[in-house]
Amino acid sequence: MRFVAPQEHEAEERAWAVVSAAYAEREPVAWPRRHWQPLVAAAVVAAVVAAALSQPGRSVVHSFRKAVGIETAEPVLFSLPTRGELLVNSRSGLWLVRPDGSKRRLGRYRDATFSPHGLFVAATRANQLVALDPKAHVRWELARPAPRFPAWTGTRMDTRIAYLSRGRLRIVAGDGTGDRLVGPAALIPPTWLPGRKLVYFDGHRWMVYNVTSGSARRTTPPREAATIRRRAGQSEVVTGGRVVFRGTGIFDSVALSPDGRWLLVSWPTANQWVFIRPQPRKIVGVSRITQQFGRDARVEDWCCAAP
Amino acid sequence: MAGSGRDERAWVRRAQAGSASDFEALFRAHWGPAYRAAYLVVRDAAAAEDIAQEAFIAAVRALDRFDRRRPFGPWLHRIVVNRAIDWARARSLRPEGEAVDAAAPERPEHDDELLRELGRLSPEHRAVIVLRYLLDYTPGEIAELLELPRGTVNSRLRRGLDALKERLE
Repeated sequence: MRFVAPQEHEAEERAWAVVSAAYAEREPVAWPRRHWQPLVAAAVVAAVVAAALSQPGRSVVHSFRKAVGIETAEPVLFSLPTRGELLVNSRSGLWLVRPDGSKRRLGRYRDATFSPHGLFVAATRANQLVALDPKAHVRWELARPAPRFPAWTGTRMDTRIAYLSRGRLRIVAGDGTGDRLVGPAALIPPTWLPGRKLVYFDGHRWMVYNVTSGSARRTTPPREAATIRRRAGQSEVVTGGRVVFRGTGIFDSVALSPDGRWLLVSWPTANQWVFIRPQPRKIVGVSRITQQFGRDARVEDWCCAAP
Repeated sequence: MAGSGRDERAWVRRAQAGSASDFEALFRAHWGPAYRAAYLVVRDAAAAEDIAQEAFIAAVRALDRFDRRRPFGPWLHRIVVNRAIDWARARSLRPEGEAVDAAAPERPEHDDELLRELGRLSPEHRAVIVLRYLLDYTPGEIAELLELPRGTVNSRLRRGLDALKERLE
């Protein structure tokens, strides 16, 4: 019977991303104890040192990159495992990614965030804060020196964007009007809390600013839903005090889905992204991220699907 | 295309020792047959992908314990086909409309009728036909894979083929 099943090759690449991650996570059974083991260990150390210092070191790196899937993976049909849209930034520009995997390049920006309902995007470039629609049309722009880390919150009728500019925290309305200074702030992304409150670091202390009253007071650092921990050449994603994924090399960011059920881990060592649903456990991998989005691709925001 | 028995044993041995490229060779050689077998039993691409993927993850977990004197394919196919039968049975108990994948129209036309009729057989009959005619196992090997008496395999093959023949005529 000659037969090719539907989506066979796309499924193969998706599965390979997951299965290779499982293989990378696996802890091989300890080798049997042998009297020559110390000699082998010494030889391995010597080889690694020599490799790191010499031309053949490149081949070690090459082998490692190949082993984790960079050079062997084929292009994949990229789709999100859950509702929502992604903002992805890379050296090639800012990309809006729909749930079906289709994507649109919005231009070159430094940082970006979705509006609360995913209808617009706030982005920063050299000396501008910009609001864009999903077709990359600029709706308004505000000239400010070195704006960074926009964070957009609010309801359909009343939204505001917090951002940093030259060591100051500022807030502007979602239509680009009423820009005002809040106070000094370190270059750490501010975080909105429910009830029109904003947590930021002023360089010495964590503060919470109440937009309604205009007052600020000390607070504790915002709790992160998931963190990355690095140890002994491996990276781990920790959520709720538990390791939910571990891999060789470096994870450089983790994002939480709008429904809070999925994590998206960027794994540049493997040129992959890994979507993780801790409960019930499911892992979906996406290969060849560099080929799809350009170098240094990172997820800026993961938002609600536009209505 | 699966490698020779010698290739495969070497891939397994080196994958057990930590060679990701040999593990990939093993994966690439066996993905197609595993996915196709799962698809033909469950008739749902997403489910087939999950089933085949989980079978490979089970293979990763059991890799260190795997006896490399034995062939890898039958071991993997046993997992795939048994899980596919379980999935198809569960699906038949909670019908949610016909399990036709959205990508089905992309199949070559000459396969359509045969595949549609294959999908109307019971999961157990589908499984033995897929193992016999897609994966080329002998009835004796199928009996071993599915832990069934050989007579049961032969009768399922015969009844399955009779049903297909009758519907296609």
